[in-house]
Amino acid sequence: MSGLLRVEGLVTRFYTEEGVVKAVDGNSFHLEENEALGVVGESGSGKTVTALSIMRLIEAPGRIEAGRILFRGEDLLTKPEREMRRIRGRDLSMVFQDSLSSLNPTLTVGAQIARVLKHHTRLSSRARRRRAVELLAAVGIPEPEKRASHYPHQLSGGMRQRALIAMAISCNPKLLILDEPTTALDVTIEAQIFELIGKLKGEFGMGVFLITHDLSVVASFCRRVIIMYAGKIVEEAPVGDLYANPLHPYTLGLLRSIPPLDGEAERLESIPGEVPDLINLPPGCNFSPRCHLADERCWQREPELLEASPGHRVACWKAGKGGKGG
Amino acid sequence: MEPALGDGNPVPQGPSFSWAWMIAFLSKRLLLAIPTLLVASFLIFSLVHIAPGDPIQVMLGDFQDPELIARLRHEMGLDLPLFQQYLHWLGNIVRGDLGISITVQRGASVTDLILQRFAVTVELALLSLTIALLIAIPTGIVSALRQNKLSDHISRIIALLGVSIPNFFLGILLILFVGVYLRKPWGAGGYVPLSRGLLKNLAHMFLPAVALGTAYAAIIMRMMRSAMLDTMSRDFVRTARAMGIAPGDIVRRDIVKNALIPVVTVIGNSIGYLLGGSIVTETVFRLPGVGNLVIMGVFRRDFPVIQAVVLIIVVVRIVINLVVDLTYGFLDPRIRYGGER
Amino acid sequence: MAREIQSGEYELGTHRTLLQEFWRNFRRNKLSLVGGVIVLFYAFLAVFAPLLAPYDPIEQFDAPRGMRNPMPPLSRDEDGRLFLLGTDKFGRDILSRAIYGTRTLLQVAVGSISIAMLIGVTMGAVAGYRAGTWVDELLMRAVDIMLSFPSLVLAIALVGAFGIGKIQVGPFTVSNIVKIMLVIAVTYSPRFARVMRAVVLQEMAKDYVAAARISGASGARILLTEILPNTIPPIIVQASLMMATTVLTTSSLSFLGLGLQPPRPSLGLMLNEARDYLFWGAWWYAVVPGGLITLAILGFNLLGDGLRDALDPRQARRRR
Repeated sequence: MSGLLRVEGLVTRFYTEEGVVKAVDGNSFHLEENEALGVVGESGSGKTVTALSIMRLIEAPGRIEAGRILFRGEDLLTKPEREMRRIRGRDLSMVFQDSLSSLNPTLTVGAQIARVLKHHTRLSSRARRRRAVELLAAVGIPEPEKRASHYPHQLSGGMRQRALIAMAISCNPKLLILDEPTTALDVTIEAQIFELIGKLKGEFGMGVFLITHDLSVVASFCRRVIIMYAGKIVEEAPVGDLYANPLHPYTLGLLRSIPPLDGEAERLESIPGEVPDLINLPPGCNFSPRCHLADERCWQREPELLEASPGHRVACWKAGKGGKGG
Repeated sequence: MEPALGDGNPVPQGPSFSWAWMIAFLSKRLLLAIPTLLVASFLIFSLVHIAPGDPIQVMLGDFQDPELIARLRHEMGLDLPLFQQYLHWLGNIVRGDLGISITVQRGASVTDLILQRFAVTVELALLSLTIALLIAIPTGIVSALRQNKLSDHISRIIALLGVSIPNFFLGILLILFVGVYLRKPWGAGGYVPLSRGLLKNLAHMFLPAVALGTAYAAIIMRMMRSAMLDTMSRDFVRTARAMGIAPGDIVRRDIVKNALIPVVTVIGNSIGYLLGGSIVTETVFRLPGVGNLVIMGVFRRDFPVIQAVVLIIVVVRIVINLVVDLTYGFLDPRIRYGGER
Repeated sequence: MAREIQSGEYELGTHRTLLQEFWRNFRRNKLSLVGGVIVLFYAFLAVFAPLLAPYDPIEQFDAPRGMRNPMPPLSRDEDGRLFLLGTDKFGRDILSRAIYGTRTLLQVAVGSISIAMLIGVTMGAVAGYRAGTWVDELLMRAVDIMLSFPSLVLAIALVGAFGIGKIQVGPFTVSNIVKIMLVIAVTYSPRFARVMRAVVLQEMAKDYVAAARISGASGARILLTEILPNTIPPIIVQASLMMATTVLTTSSLSFLGLGLQPPRPSLGLMLNEARDYLFWGAWWYAVVPGGLITLAILGFNLLGDGLRDALDPRQARRRR
């Protein structure tokens, strides 16, 4: 089985004036049809670059250096740009985080959706217009007829995000990438948006690749989760497994930094230190400067991503030795 | 239907252009322009009085005839209190009477003097503007799309030279090359009225318009280029690419459309350069325009002429800014419909 | 993500002084270095004009038999004097006039920018510090109204009011050159006022001002000792950008005959005179002064852009 998406050994780098930024450094993972996969990490961990690499939207000075991105069995990295344009928005779609800046301020919301349809379908302009309104209705925007003729700045944040989702799903994509789709929104709206995505995922049978820095979102929405740190996958596990048995000290730190849903909040911990400079990565494990367990070996040799139990992979010499919860 | 004007009004109903919006917008801007215009006109009026010495004596120079002085003083209303003089002056202007020339053409109506020359200056300014926009906008777009390619470097260097070369020097170089070296009669300066044929007239206007428009074109081209680059890195362009929109469509509807918004501001702000520059260009090419008139006015210290021309330039500038604001509203729905900006 | 990489977190750990940082950014842009070199060249010309000019700029030489003034470059008179860049209509040495003309041009430009800065910075500082009050409102209205005049038009109008040449104010005589400086300074001071006000407002919002206030420092003291030093870099950038405009305006006035008066050597005036000799083929008469004005404006433009980008590299990156 090849699954919906299989990424193998992806390396994406940015050649900046300051040096080479190793944004994504040799990652492999896969995503099944109709599956929701969560990707968690701090900003700068390579989540977004991974997503943009899949979309083939990496721009200069960035470059995809190595790897294969098999989407429904075909390697996207070997496809000519023309063909990628047909795939983007139709089979493979993406919703970005800031809905205000992600929508064109000088086009109405309806026109922006209709435009996507124009490039991927043979609908007449009237039919595109009608379909745009239907899509706005489908993502739960009230009075879609009226809203279609509004400009982005005239809509609320939640409505804009819905409109952006409507645009992304307008051609029934097989895979939808969501890049922190709710960061700008308050908790109630966030819940509504995820409810909507869940519903759409069921209706359209899409795979969902959800990028977030919030483990609690993943817990309620995804089946599996990938933890990224400094451009590398450090842990991958089914969600339940990850919560019950986090193996990487970084995962543990992340789990400790979210408030528990029940009971009194104990003192929240944040992970000490900062994300390392992706230009000058430390030798050995990238996390060792922040890791209280790190020893000689961690500083010298990089741990490989190895299977600890079925479906649970981790890249750490000290895997599972961080203790639980406390 | 209540159009929103950027002051938190209710969300409007439709996206299409509405006359109600335009009228409301225009009248609001006009109301804002009036105080500026009044104070500016008062400053222009006071020009006569900030100069040391009696204006009439200053104007007449060595030619001091007491009887003439007294008559002129009365003619210009200089025997009235200052503010009354101003109101008198303003009242005449509103009725289309810009005063009487003292020394440029003794006794001639300044309104007539200006009207005789107005067409030349307007033609020069409009032609320069047209040439500048026709060159600058496409070059700016192409330059940004081909950033750091050879064509980008070349147009940037030309633009840099364009903003640096004074229009009077460029004008002289053009005369040297076209008039002297190529011996083209239309390249030697001078004016051919429209009555002697449109082509002849345009030919004689061409070099002045190029001389005047070059720096303007260079400013706009640079702004267009940087606004394009700025827009190209905006999130919505990435969204459009992620939706598989064709590059041509992205350039047109995402990049150019949004990049034009700041460029329009620059076009409007730099129009002052075009107005001031036309005075210089008229001198270079010996065109009988309004600029030529004001220079004569300064040389011969003809205050009514100076005041009238300067006032007209300021009025034109304010009107143009109004048009620019309006264009801005067309281009940017966030202004047309209020909301965050 | 490429965005994030630029947004600061990866720049941590590189500790340099601000000046070093500035120089590093400035040096990176080769064009601004070129601008710096051009400006230095002009400063050199202006300072050492008497040593560099081969002849007295107003001395008239007769053309040799069979020739007429203006003489082309590399001509000699009967006594064998070489005129490297030719002569003008009165037989004066173009090179010497150009060198002295450059000196005068820079004098006027630097002088008027300094005065404009003085007026504008004061206005802007007061308006910014008293932001929101009637003082601010009044000053900014004045600035708006002055800016509704195109700058060259305002300068021409002022010259029209005061007259060409020196002026007599009561018992005082203001020389023509000082008058021109004042006229241009008045024209450009509102722009400094705007920049200054914006910078002061920006600085006042920062924590250190609040800290100084809490510690009981007086308003004027805070303005002078805390805020003003931080406004210097943006004002310098503005000044160097405005130098280009001022050089243009000054030479435009002279070209129109409204600025520096003969026989004083002035580049703008040389171009004006050259107009009558274009059809004699006297290209050098126009090209030498015109080229010098153009190069000066180019130099100040490049330098100003470079300084601005070096002070605000993030903005610059977007511009590039």
